[in-house]
Amino acid sequence: MGKNMVFKIIFNIFLLLLIFPLFIILLWSFTKIWPWPDLFPKAFGLRGFQYLLNPSNNSLRILGLSIWLSTVVMFIAILISIPAAKALGLYHFKGKGFIKTLILAPIVVPTVAVTMGIHVSFISVGLANTFWGVVIVHLIPCIPYSVRILTDVFEIMGNSMELQARILGANKMQTFFYVTLPMLAPGLITAGSMVFIVSFSQYFLTFLIGGGKIVTFSMVMFPFIQSGDRMMASVYSMVFIWTTLLILISVERIVKSYYKGENYFYL
Amino acid sequence: MKKSILLFLALLLIINFAGCTSRDEKPTAQITAEDWNSILEKAKGTTVNFYGWGGSQKVNEWIDNYVSRKLKEEYDIILNRVPMDIDDILNKLLGEKQLNSKEGTIDIVWINGENFFTAKRNGLLFGPFVDDLPNYKKYVDTESIEIKYDFGFPVEGYEAPYGKAQLVLIGDQAQIVQFPRNHEELFEMVKNNPGKFTYPAPPDFTGSAFVRNIIYDIVGYKQFMNMEADKQKVAEVIKPAMDYLKKIKPYLWQEGKTYPATVAQLDNMYADHEVFMTISYNPNHVASKIGTGEFPTTSQAFIFEKGTIGNTHFLAIPYNATNKEGALVAINFLLSPKAQASKYDPKNWGDLPVLDNGKFSDEEKKLFHDVKLGEGVLPQDILLAHRLPEIPAHLIPIIEEIWQENIPVEGE
Repeated sequence: MGKNMVFKIIFNIFLLLLIFPLFIILLWSFTKIWPWPDLFPKAFGLRGFQYLLNPSNNSLRILGLSIWLSTVVMFIAILISIPAAKALGLYHFKGKGFIKTLILAPIVVPTVAVTMGIHVSFISVGLANTFWGVVIVHLIPCIPYSVRILTDVFEIMGNSMELQARILGANKMQTFFYVTLPMLAPGLITAGSMVFIVSFSQYFLTFLIGGGKIVTFSMVMFPFIQSGDRMMASVYSMVFIWTTLLILISVERIVKSYYKGENYFYL
Repeated sequence: MKKSILLFLALLLIINFAGCTSRDEKPTAQITAEDWNSILEKAKGTTVNFYGWGGSQKVNEWIDNYVSRKLKEEYDIILNRVPMDIDDILNKLLGEKQLNSKEGTIDIVWINGENFFTAKRNGLLFGPFVDDLPNYKKYVDTESIEIKYDFGFPVEGYEAPYGKAQLVLIGDQAQIVQFPRNHEELFEMVKNNPGKFTYPAPPDFTGSAFVRNIIYDIVGYKQFMNMEADKQKVAEVIKPAMDYLKKIKPYLWQEGKTYPATVAQLDNMYADHEVFMTISYNPNHVASKIGTGEFPTTSQAFIFEKGTIGNTHFLAIPYNATNKEGALVAINFLLSPKAQASKYDPKNWGDLPVLDNGKFSDEEKKLFHDVKLGEGVLPQDILLAHRLPEIPAHLIPIIEEIWQENIPVEGE
């Protein structure tokens, strides 16, 4: 009982620490003046939201394109990661440890340095300044996360259930769709969300490879943060946070409703 | 096995080096031979991609609304503004140049100073093109030092002037009775009000300009114009200014133990009443910040008696722009009295015009005369009378280095 209480208090403190800054951002997105040492803003305004909603600067269209782009990246990353994670999670082969480390390379090696080279190659193959070029380059920082998350899930799952299905006469496709995928679902939600967030917040990669032809939401948001216009920066951040949150919730809903009625008997 | 891997790596290296050969090819200027009407004709119905800094809501809105609309109406050109920092633009162009890619995405780039120098030296720019622009020939004082040189670098027609900036100090009249007119009065004021003043640490663009302005105020500016990039020499000359900055340090915000890293931070501190002065390289900055409600309405821009530093910002066309005609038409439009007057209006942007007042007709003069200056802004004639040229760009990093060695920032 006492232990439970302590846990609850700590949990709530953490929750507060996480949510409080968001509240400040919400406040700033409507704040005109907030002079020191006032505890609350002195004047409010709608300048930020007016700019955001003004069709002449395309903010909402750019937001739509960003969501679409990151969703595509999410699907491709998951598609690539499932077989890779299964191999790393279930099979034993020579050099497995090495490959596991190698997969993290895009997180360890500074992407800026690598992207300059990739940009040059992409120009020569005609991928620079295109939608698919940006999708491919986004996969680089995304895949380490999705592979790592799914590898852990596969390790916990083991392959006994799949074997069981095969023994009972299911073919490979049936096993994958009726056994592996439902069991993988929670992992897919986590990995997919992670990939979406990583892709959605890419700035430099999109800049260089997209060359200004592909403009994402973080690209229009960043100059405002840099120039210190706190109202504009807060408005864009609010939209940014809410978008990712809504996407995460809907990914979870969709996956769960698709596999509802299943029992997850691990973790 | 190992040998073959080595061989493969060696091959890769060779391929890499082979990729870095093309350089210093002069971009061909074929368009220059055509006459203006055919350029106008060719530009019709095209899209012009305009790349530049996108951190100001006002500037963005002016381009998205006024410039876009006018270009569409008058020349049937669609303007596509892309917010991109100049460093990223240069990286992109350098990558494309390496492969000699002919199909660039940038048609106009907003540029000046050492970035222009880098771009021009690496053959990233198309030109010379300014003499093809009717408005350049008609309205710009082509002999002016500020048009011919960009931070000491000869422009040679590779970029067209876009606007002028000038360093101003901004103070809150509710808190300051008499604005300082030189560095000594500034020192007295700061000493009497410790903690209420600071400047962004160089290499912040504005902070660095402020330090240069203090140097100008103490040792004069003429000697720098032809100075070579010799650190010892520079250090010797600017020693009195460094001594001054050391002397003022303990009276600054946080006792000078730390400085705001960017001018944006200083602006926010000023908006929050933490300090009573801020600095801006845009003389109309104060009006736009009062307009958005961030700065107190009692804010007022002021300058030193001996003057403050000014520079010109420019528009250039990349060597691989696919729509050079459209870019020329758009730049020519931006050099028209109409566009420059609209840009000068603090309601829109509030950027100083680059055109020569002496070349205007009465009607055109009226355009500028009718612009209502914003609250707290200094009139153009006062600014121009107190305008000092920028230091040659190669001296700037040296001065920033000397500042960092002499004015230690704690807790970095």
